[in-house]
Amino acid sequence: MMLFKTIKFKMTLWYVVILGIILSCFSLFLYVTLADSLYKGVDNKIRTMAEIVVSSTRSPLGAGTSMADLDQVMTEHFGIRPLGRFIQILDESGRIGDRSTNLRDVQIPISVQTMKAASKGIITFETVQVMGKYSLRVVTMPIIENEKMIGIVQVGSSLEGVEEALQQLLLILLIAVPALLLVASAGGLFLANKALKPVDAITQIARRIGSGDLSQRIRIKRVNDELGRLASTFNEMIAKLEKSFRQVKRFTADASHELKTPLTILRGEVEVGLKKKRGVKEYQQILASNLEEINRMSRIVEDLLTLSRADMGELTMEREEIELSALAREVWRDLRLLAKKKRIQLKFMDNGFTGVEGDPLFLRQLILNLTENGLKYTRAGGEVAVRVKGDRDQGVVRLLVTDTGVGIPQKDLKRIFDRFYRVDGARSRETGGTGLGLSICQWIVQAHEGRIAVESKVGKGSTFTVTLPMKD
Amino acid sequence: MRILVVEDEKKVASFLKKGLEEEYYAVDCAYDGEEALFMVEANDYDLILLDIMLPKINGLEVLKGVRQRGLAIPVLMLTAKDSVEDVVKGLDAGGDDYLTKPFAFAELLARVRALLRRKERGPAGELRVADLVLDPVTHMVRRGGQEIDLTAKEYALLEYLMRHANRVVTRTMISEHVWDYHFDPMTNVIDVYVNHLRRKIYLDSSQQLIHTVRGVGYMLQDRG
Repeated sequence: MMLFKTIKFKMTLWYVVILGIILSCFSLFLYVTLADSLYKGVDNKIRTMAEIVVSSTRSPLGAGTSMADLDQVMTEHFGIRPLGRFIQILDESGRIGDRSTNLRDVQIPISVQTMKAASKGIITFETVQVMGKYSLRVVTMPIIENEKMIGIVQVGSSLEGVEEALQQLLLILLIAVPALLLVASAGGLFLANKALKPVDAITQIARRIGSGDLSQRIRIKRVNDELGRLASTFNEMIAKLEKSFRQVKRFTADASHELKTPLTILRGEVEVGLKKKRGVKEYQQILASNLEEINRMSRIVEDLLTLSRADMGELTMEREEIELSALAREVWRDLRLLAKKKRIQLKFMDNGFTGVEGDPLFLRQLILNLTENGLKYTRAGGEVAVRVKGDRDQGVVRLLVTDTGVGIPQKDLKRIFDRFYRVDGARSRETGGTGLGLSICQWIVQAHEGRIAVESKVGKGSTFTVTLPMKD
Repeated sequence: MRILVVEDEKKVASFLKKGLEEEYYAVDCAYDGEEALFMVEANDYDLILLDIMLPKINGLEVLKGVRQRGLAIPVLMLTAKDSVEDVVKGLDAGGDDYLTKPFAFAELLARVRALLRRKERGPAGELRVADLVLDPVTHMVRRGGQEIDLTAKEYALLEYLMRHANRVVTRTMISEHVWDYHFDPMTNVIDVYVNHLRRKIYLDSSQQLIHTVRGVGYMLQDRG
């Protein structure tokens, strides 16, 4: 049975067992203490009464005291004639002398042992059965005069009331304890159920997530208890998983799209080209176009490889002292020709000490990517400026690449460093980028403990700012 | 048969146009979603080849736009998105067929033929009127077993007429389905081509199949 293996069953079982033990101990204690105190109360009463009777028989009135006198003595001592008390006076040989009227023709039995004890002056308490039915508590007290027993006083009290009370108590306990345990186990099961319900919910959701549905969340009612915290931790974990899954999925989809486009072109152009005989010029055009696509694919594959190596931590950064302005100047020189071809003014400025620590190859690629990007999105007649500034007060070197290009809409700014993210949604590849350049830039900057930021206005242009720690 | 190619990747659009034109289709290209919707409204296409990832308006939205305008043009989705979800989304948005990139050009042509055939509810294979037979796969035209050599436009015109055999075809219909965007409706080019075609398929002993419907257009009919 599954039920017996559940935590709620075990919890309830433990709870009921412990409660049962406690209740049983309490009941036992209650019963024993009460019984003891009740019996002692009876003993005390009959003893007191016996003492009074003994002292009254020893009074100047002598042995000839009658029962009527006894009654009077009782009334004097207790205010009323005690009911349910039986008094019997015997002479020294054990013959019954006087008896209280309520005894009628019944005798309180006296054993030989008790007689012997009385003759030695010892008081005996005993419980006897009278007429088989009623228990009687009897005290046997010798009347001693001049160190000689001259008679015996026996006072008995019915135990009916005490026994009835104890029996009733036992009955109550025997019914109440199991009933209480039953109620407690139902309540315990209910509480455990209630407390563990979120756990069941978590299990079910985890199962659904296991089958691939990461959009599931646990609905949390109480945030601050243990299970609420567990549920919210769980939710946070799923959210993170979902986010990274979505990123991977998007990246894979994007990467496959970027690689499939050149493949489609290659295949389509070649197939259409082969459909019939064509002139040399047409073949040359097809081959040239094919080469372009092959180059694009190699670039994408190379960039992807760089990024995946970076992700795996397989790329090692050199740590050299580098003058960033010198590196930027080199890039500027290399790109001047390209800028001239596109009729874009490419400017370079540097200012202050620009020493940083880093990998010259990667930093060069960073500057190259950013500057090429600027050239790509700037129309003829525009301007791209590369500036390198040292800021000694803040201990940083800043690289700013500003263009007067098309700009980036506000909503795209955040995602512009994402892999394969393209601003217009169009995979307008005319610009020739792989869609990975800025992702690589971001990785290079982060590997140098720097920051990269972008500011842009649509139609006006963009500024990329790289901040690297200065090397003293 | 006139086809609209909607594809933002210029090179893909270019080889599609070239390859389809070599199969005697009239082809126009649209490079973004807005342009595509504009072209669809302005012209009467027999088929649309539609990319999904497009600038301005994406392909699925274009498709919805086309269907909202009550146009039942067959649409062949042509995209790099190849997951089952994407295929389902594309077909449910109103696409008639789905081909993932990169594709074999021969398969594309077969699917284009299938969609056009479905549109006309015609049987697969050859088109036949009297003893005139046209094979849309091999582009072979024969009359009474004798092969007839036609130019690309003549072939396209004949195929259109044969697909609408026994029905009147207006000059506007011909200009919209046989010629592309660059056709000038003020000329009598259609009449000239019809006359050329008439002459070529009128072999000595046979009957005339292309009839002029005065003031309206033409009709291809076997009047025995």
